[in-house]
Amino acid sequence: MPVEVTFELPYTEWGWKVGFYVAMIGIASGAYLMGYIADILSQKRNEPSHGQVAQYGYLAGILGMAIGPPVLLSHLATPFRALMLPMTMTNLGSWMALGTYLIAGFVLGAFLMFGWTAFGTERPHRRAVAADGGTDHGTARAATGDSTANGIRGVASRVGLLDLLDTLADKTRPSETVRLGIGAVFGVLAAGVLVYSAMAYGSGPTERVALWDPTFLLPVKILGGLAAGLTVAVGFAAIANRPVGRTIQNYSLAASGLLVATLVAVLAAITLLPEQLPAAEPAVENLLSTHATLFVGGAVVGGLVVPILLSVGAVVGQRRGALSPAAATGAYVAAAALVVVGKVALALAYLMAAEFAPLPLPM
Amino acid sequence: MSTQESDGGTARVIPNWESCIDCGACEVACQRTWDLPPESDRIQVVALEHGTENETNKPMQCYNCSEAPCIDVCPTNALRFRNDGTVRVAADECIGCHYCGVGCPFGAPQYPDAEVPEAEESSPMGAKSDGLMDKCTTCEPRQEQGLEPACSSECPTDALLFGTPDELSEKLQEDGVSTPFNEEAAGIVFGDDADEVMGD
Repeated sequence: MPVEVTFELPYTEWGWKVGFYVAMIGIASGAYLMGYIADILSQKRNEPSHGQVAQYGYLAGILGMAIGPPVLLSHLATPFRALMLPMTMTNLGSWMALGTYLIAGFVLGAFLMFGWTAFGTERPHRRAVAADGGTDHGTARAATGDSTANGIRGVASRVGLLDLLDTLADKTRPSETVRLGIGAVFGVLAAGVLVYSAMAYGSGPTERVALWDPTFLLPVKILGGLAAGLTVAVGFAAIANRPVGRTIQNYSLAASGLLVATLVAVLAAITLLPEQLPAAEPAVENLLSTHATLFVGGAVVGGLVVPILLSVGAVVGQRRGALSPAAATGAYVAAAALVVVGKVALALAYLMAAEFAPLPLPM
Repeated sequence: MSTQESDGGTARVIPNWESCIDCGACEVACQRTWDLPPESDRIQVVALEHGTENETNKPMQCYNCSEAPCIDVCPTNALRFRNDGTVRVAADECIGCHYCGVGCPFGAPQYPDAEVPEAEESSPMGAKSDGLMDKCTTCEPRQEQGLEPACSSECPTDALLFGTPDELSEKLQEDGVSTPFNEEAAGIVFGDDADEVMGD
């Protein structure tokens, strides 16, 4: 007589912290990659306005990494031991070890690229120097945006770090070609982190959790990370550049497209996965019943559908003159906030709804 | 009876579920022998077909798998094979990430909050715990004294069989029962010896 052994749920092993961590590293790596694309476009088209998205994409990468990994460390029994990477993370066949190295490299890259684009008098994408020529400490500085400007330079100026950061950035920044080359190398690491944000769930030789089948999880996580990352970068850029210009509006439309692609990937996963892997059926049922508030309400509607409507609506409203600049900025920021909440909700729903495939045992 | 020095392959404890009467003696023997904290279930009588009229309870523990998934997923190599083919966790390398808990098909890894006595970092007999991974050690010190693991030794109905693949195969044939493993699970536990143990 065959019997099925059912053990604890995956959520009891990992808890909310792993879900939160996976969501944050997905957003951070996606933001970096979209920021890097904007960085390239800015240079190729000689349009500094792209640079705003680049700069805030890199910043979102740093913030995501500042929040996510510490939460994961708090889940571990020995967080300080885990930090001794070269001595502890020695099994490169494990996605956790691989992901840890990818993250360590990526964090360095996000810091460098952000610092080089946001600080220094010779930073790329800076606004044109004022017609009067000015000086480094006079009119030109105001024109190029620092203490009088919104955004991260304004923040740095207010806390008294702007001069130090500008000096550091100017002294370390390589030529544009080399900088973008370095950015590409770190982009590969960011892409690795994005894949890891899926494989942190979807790895393991026994494929014990059918809901995390990589065939369906990878598109959801990769598209979701890129979409959320770009939406967050646009949200930051919208706060720093009021009223929001046409270039950032275009990025908002691109983010909407990625959010739509993510929505399609999620819908494909929940409709096709049970057909491909019958063992996943109970978990998909959990997503749509027990955890429907989190998955349907938080992740799909709150984290994808509403941000799509907000992003597209804000652009259309601005271009038709039907929306005030403040309202448009509010819509971009709200979309970014909802996308972050939705990404966390999606990761948590995928963790809480998951079940180990029962082990059929003959008696 | 085999000990860890046997050269007929890795000696393991496997259940003969047809003989199990769900008395819990194996759990008591394990905890008493190693003075384990109550929440440490190196061997655990688990519910099968929970909630149905066929519900029954049988013992499950680490089978020291030949193709151990826990070793593959452990990021720090804290889990490793010893020379005798058994799987051990190094207390000074485990970070308590629970990856092995997700990877193990048999629910063997435990993460008790309390300290586990008898843990030695240099020659690990299990983790010191405090949230680190802990699991069955096949009672290695008892084997060194020529004794069987406590659970199989004290099982009143011989529902826990201990031995190398050859010996397990013989015992199963003598009793006229099969292993509790299906083909996939047997491949993970016994590796190349799976066919021998499973028989026809």
